[in-house]
Amino acid sequence: MEVKTPTPGRLHVAFAALGLAFVLIFSWVLYHEGTADWRATQARFRQLEATVKNPHQLAQAASVEGLRQIWLPDLGRVDRCGTCHLGIDDPAFGTAPQPYASHPGTWLTTHPTDRFGCTVCHDGQGQATDYREAAHRPQPFVARPMRPLETIEANCGACHRSLDPPDAPRLAEGRRLIVDSGCVACHEIPGFEGVTFRGPALDSLGYKVRPSWLGGWLKDPKSYLPESKMGNFRLTAAEIAGLQGFLLSQRAAAPLDSTGVDWKKADTSNGRALFGELRCVSCHAVNGRGGTMGPELTRIGDKVRREWLFSFLKDPHRAQPDTPMLQYRLTDDQIRDLTAFLLDEYRSSDTGAEPPPITYQDARLVADGRAVFARRGCASCHRLASIPDSGRIGPSLASIADRDPDELPYGSGEVRHTTENYIFLKVLLPDTLGSPSMMPTFGFTPADAAKIALALASIRKSDLPASYVLKPDPPKPFRPAGPFGELVTRYGCLSCHSVGGYGGTLSTVPLDRIGSQLKPDYLTKYLLNPGAVRVSVEARMPVFHMLPAEAKTITDYFESVFLDDDLEKYDATFTPADRRHGQELYTQLGCQACHQLGTQGGYVGPELSGTGARLKPGWIAAWLIKPEKYKLGTLQPDYGLSAADARALTAYLTSLGSSDAARGGGGHAR
Amino acid sequence: MTSRRYPLIGLLLAAAVSGCRAAPKAQAPGDPLLDAIRAEERAGNLTYVESQGKALFAQYCATCHGDEGKGDGQNASNLTPPPPDLTTSGNVHDKGYVEKVITQGSAAVGRSPLSPPWGRSLSAQQVDYLVAYCQALGRSKS
Repeated sequence: MEVKTPTPGRLHVAFAALGLAFVLIFSWVLYHEGTADWRATQARFRQLEATVKNPHQLAQAASVEGLRQIWLPDLGRVDRCGTCHLGIDDPAFGTAPQPYASHPGTWLTTHPTDRFGCTVCHDGQGQATDYREAAHRPQPFVARPMRPLETIEANCGACHRSLDPPDAPRLAEGRRLIVDSGCVACHEIPGFEGVTFRGPALDSLGYKVRPSWLGGWLKDPKSYLPESKMGNFRLTAAEIAGLQGFLLSQRAAAPLDSTGVDWKKADTSNGRALFGELRCVSCHAVNGRGGTMGPELTRIGDKVRREWLFSFLKDPHRAQPDTPMLQYRLTDDQIRDLTAFLLDEYRSSDTGAEPPPITYQDARLVADGRAVFARRGCASCHRLASIPDSGRIGPSLASIADRDPDELPYGSGEVRHTTENYIFLKVLLPDTLGSPSMMPTFGFTPADAAKIALALASIRKSDLPASYVLKPDPPKPFRPAGPFGELVTRYGCLSCHSVGGYGGTLSTVPLDRIGSQLKPDYLTKYLLNPGAVRVSVEARMPVFHMLPAEAKTITDYFESVFLDDDLEKYDATFTPADRRHGQELYTQLGCQACHQLGTQGGYVGPELSGTGARLKPGWIAAWLIKPEKYKLGTLQPDYGLSAADARALTAYLTSLGSSDAARGGGGHAR
Repeated sequence: MTSRRYPLIGLLLAAAVSGCRAAPKAQAPGDPLLDAIRAEERAGNLTYVESQGKALFAQYCATCHGDEGKGDGQNASNLTPPPPDLTTSGNVHDKGYVEKVITQGSAAVGRSPLSPPWGRSLSAQQVDYLVAYCQALGRSKS
């Protein structure tokens, strides 16, 4: 074989050209790096530093020369932002212009840069060393440009997985909306495992509601109840007719027999009095005012049938075992009066007479309705024994924020393609994104939809190691047995109170250590006739009409189970000098600003005249020393009291109410 | 043929280059989520930091100082001396003063002890937010 060798002359030319190219590239790199923006930025910083600091501080300051980076191997990140943001952790640069300004707030104290870097919170391209490459603004081909401040809380949520993350109000509000709107009924959402959402069971709906109401409700729930949690499913007239026929055929359990009730004798004025006395508005709003745990009652007369309401008030758990509604101990006459009052007072002017009971059913409508019920996933929220539980109808949102933004629909508008914008539009207007959607329209305001989108955008297949993630365990259900357990169910204690974080949040008092807080005699009396401890709090404990034996059962249980040993072993032998010092402190600290004593003082905190008869001393002292330990976000300030001062105040407070000071009806104002 | 093709290629290249340059400008795609949040901020006339302070103010301060800081909270009538109107008080312009009252209570600046110290209950961050909101209250009137 003959091998062709290039002629030496040509080889030289090739080498020379390559060499030249190499020199050119090398010099360009040198020039480029030598004149990089960040060098000029650092030079300007040194000038600024000389004006901000005195010579001594300057001598102490670390030299600023060259690239600066934070390497976080466990996060797989290298952040070079500090190359230009040179004053970021130096308070001396608080008012300096960017990029030299120090970080606002105390975020770097709680999130030091050597552990968190920059891009964990801010996004952007941490390895870049110039403004544009770092993606301070959205750019083509950069998946995660820096977040504007407005949406930064989505990144808080990547680590802070509790439902109430601190100092991130938009994220917290978004998560609250997700819980309250029942998103978890249809979607699996990581971080919300402990949350359940149920609409009312529908097994006996045929006995419960008026047919006319049901039609209007299915067409648009908000037309009956603007605060409705049920979304608008955009049903056709045929679908509504089918569902109506199907649902009204659900008559599993007839209401309790009320044939003996003489409705002509119903006394609505007595019903009105009961409505106030039982404190129904703690949970149910009327005309926009009142609690939100139960349904608003403003137009209840348009909705439910008389026999059903009578039966429900008599025994709510029979119709619906998991209802948060409590079972008052009332006579049939009282229930009759209350029923008549509710139906007469809270209705539209054009509500017709009570419709006759339904005895018919249209087999074709029932079949149609059953199909719609299954297709639209009604069973995800509403239990119905005749329909098998099909689980969640919506897709899992486990990796919603990881989806490719360019493959998602955005409707007709010109929208920047981000998963957040997609989620926002989907939550706001589910049916306008170009593909038919099963998701109902919930009628969120844009601001609320934005917060929900932020909360969902914080859920991604985490690139953060577990050591960064703060995720509280969902509380363990508390289900006591025996007579106490029956009373807890009957009176719905856990609808408002919590034990170990499980239960409701309406009450300001968790029950975990209630036996060490309250004196037993007071507790029993309070259960029988709950007064107002906090005058300004609108939601009150209902007046159950509880039997004395029941109050005793509950008290005994509290006194033997819900105890805190640290509080119990407090030595409560006080001297008169303690009491006198406590009384002085009471005025010096300004306790009267919030607490009433007799007729004097504010009504933010509990009224204190009867404290000696109400609270155990160990609890008073512990609470005064560290209120936040027992209740986050409490309005009781932490005065940094010494044990001796807390003891003096305790001595003074326990003397109230056990002597003549309490007489004169200090007890319960209003 | 070749002589006719070159201008064509040049034209395509020019179009591609100009297209690349023009594309981001011409689209100017919207950011509806951001718009919604900004609209809410504008409606409240508060910055992000101030609106955080507003939420804390509603929780800790409004019972006495009133929702808008006018000194007309529901508990105000029980207090002697009454809480000041923060929207007209000159003291809110003094950041250090406001911070001191919030963290150490009104007694720390030589006033009545009726406004309690919150420095041990609130984080430094939360105090910053509250200070910012108090200053915003003063701004809206001055």
